[in-house]
Amino acid sequence: MTGFVGSLVLALAVGVPWALAAALSLCDGRKRWVGWAAVAGLGATLAALVRLAVLVVGGGQVEMTAGGWPEGVGITLRADALGATFALVSVGVIFASLLYEVLGGVRSRTFPALVLFMTAGLTGLFLTGDVFNFYVFFEVSMTAAYVLASYREQDHQVRAAFIFAVINLLGSVVFLIGVAALYHVTGSLDMAIIAERIDPVQPNSVIAIAAAIFVAFSLKLGLFPFHFWLPAVYVGSHPPVAAILSGALANIGSYGLLRFGGDLLPRELELGSAAVLILGSASIIYGALQAISRRDTAEVLAYSAIGQAGYVLVALGVGGPVGYAAAVLYAVVNSLNKGLLFLAAGLRGPLVGVAFAVGAFSVAGVPPAAGFLGKVALFESSLAAGTIPTSVSLIVLIFLGSALSFVYSFQIYQRRFWAPKPEDPGDRGKPSPVAPRVFVILLAALALGMGLWPEPLLSLSVAAANVLAGDP
Amino acid sequence: MILAVSLAISAIFGSGVYLLLQRDLLRVVVGIVLISNSAILFVIAAGLSRGDAPIHPLPKEGLLGAGTSDPLVQAMALTAIVISFSTAALLLGFVYRLDAAHRTVDVEDISESETREAEALEKEEEPEREQEPKHTAAEVELGEETR
Repeated sequence: MTGFVGSLVLALAVGVPWALAAALSLCDGRKRWVGWAAVAGLGATLAALVRLAVLVVGGGQVEMTAGGWPEGVGITLRADALGATFALVSVGVIFASLLYEVLGGVRSRTFPALVLFMTAGLTGLFLTGDVFNFYVFFEVSMTAAYVLASYREQDHQVRAAFIFAVINLLGSVVFLIGVAALYHVTGSLDMAIIAERIDPVQPNSVIAIAAAIFVAFSLKLGLFPFHFWLPAVYVGSHPPVAAILSGALANIGSYGLLRFGGDLLPRELELGSAAVLILGSASIIYGALQAISRRDTAEVLAYSAIGQAGYVLVALGVGGPVGYAAAVLYAVVNSLNKGLLFLAAGLRGPLVGVAFAVGAFSVAGVPPAAGFLGKVALFESSLAAGTIPTSVSLIVLIFLGSALSFVYSFQIYQRRFWAPKPEDPGDRGKPSPVAPRVFVILLAALALGMGLWPEPLLSLSVAAANVLAGDP
Repeated sequence: MILAVSLAISAIFGSGVYLLLQRDLLRVVVGIVLISNSAILFVIAAGLSRGDAPIHPLPKEGLLGAGTSDPLVQAMALTAIVISFSTAALLLGFVYRLDAAHRTVDVEDISESETREAEALEKEEEPEREQEPKHTAAEVELGEETR
């Protein structure tokens, strides 16, 4: 009977970070024990999520109604393969970033508590079965992110955090309007019931709702026409914070597009697939070209994030089991890459170059790094795209995008590690402490290991795509 | 009624967007507050029905009949109000922090003042650049005092 164990790990994954965050926000985060307590709590969450992922892949979805209410009345927590995969990866990246910061010494009293609040919001969001609850968890993690973006409280960081908060609040409001409209049309907030009841509705009355939700998530993900806030935020921020924002928080966008587009509103996604493909392609090209033209490492990575989000969108536009699997796989691999690159870019000294090179290889999609898997899945999905002209142009696009990402990855590698300019502040001064450096090497080894033994990741992404395609 | 509510929502949303595009950061915050409130009105409008208050001893028709108004939208609106209130407080905190540092809440003045500070920092760090025209440093100080 998986019922009891399932509800238990589900409740633990959502509850542990909540309780610990509330407790630790009263303590001084700069003390070592507070940081390690946060690491332990996140480790427990991660363990619960691994157990949950195993359960979900083996035996379908796990459900739990909060507060002992009868089903259909209380708020439902529902874990399926899609949500569990995203929760696992996001919490993994947050765990790595927190461990990195704790090893290097936390410099703000609120950092561990904020990271835990964000984790609580993210796990809740990925594991909820209720659209309004999704909005609430989403706001919890975004609010923590606004404060984290101003970590260290430099003036330009506060200004970037302000812009970040205003733009994303606008996105949240648009999403809330979408949720209210979905409720108006279907009379329910439960995702499964909405997916059922939206089916007989004429698509032309739902397409506006779908467009609002698409805009909201594109803003979070930083896709091409909605990307303008992204570079300013990433450039100013502290490396672990940038890794969390890019590797974990951006997953909200990918997950939201997959969940609302693929699961709740599949017909509207199909209707809009041309627009989705065009926006995705524009994102890929624009992000890569801008990344090549920038010099600062953080700025290059920020524009690269815009381009990488485009690949997820292209795979989503192709749709079907192959396209969804590629989108999930690419989103997962991309968040690992971004986490690794931002963390490695914040360090200096021996060994760091190796870790950074692995991350750069992975972004460019060179085997045996994990990024290769994502690129292969994308090629597969573009072969599956309906007509031959579409397939050919998608393959050309992905090839071009990968070639460009190869160029910018090695441009920054070269600038930082081969020919450091004297005025580059990244290479002045003494090397970073040993512990974080060893840690990024371990992360790089993990990225390589995933490329060499891709089975777990592939089966997770296929299971997630099957949830969307409708057969369990 | 539907027309009146939708006109009210669009008017509030429109004025919020207008304020959001201003240079004054306080107006930006007020704009966001207005936009969130228009969304809250929209949430209420999504389940707009007349009836008794949905409090426990329900009239005989129960939740199914037309006798009771929809409780769910009210719960959602309450939650959304709390969220928008707390994010507005956070944004005002950011504005206060910027105002304390730069003595202004205008975006362009803030970025000018940041550039000046960065230049001043560079001058301190690299004394070999002293041969550049000296009056810029004086201007910086003068600019700081007149603010």
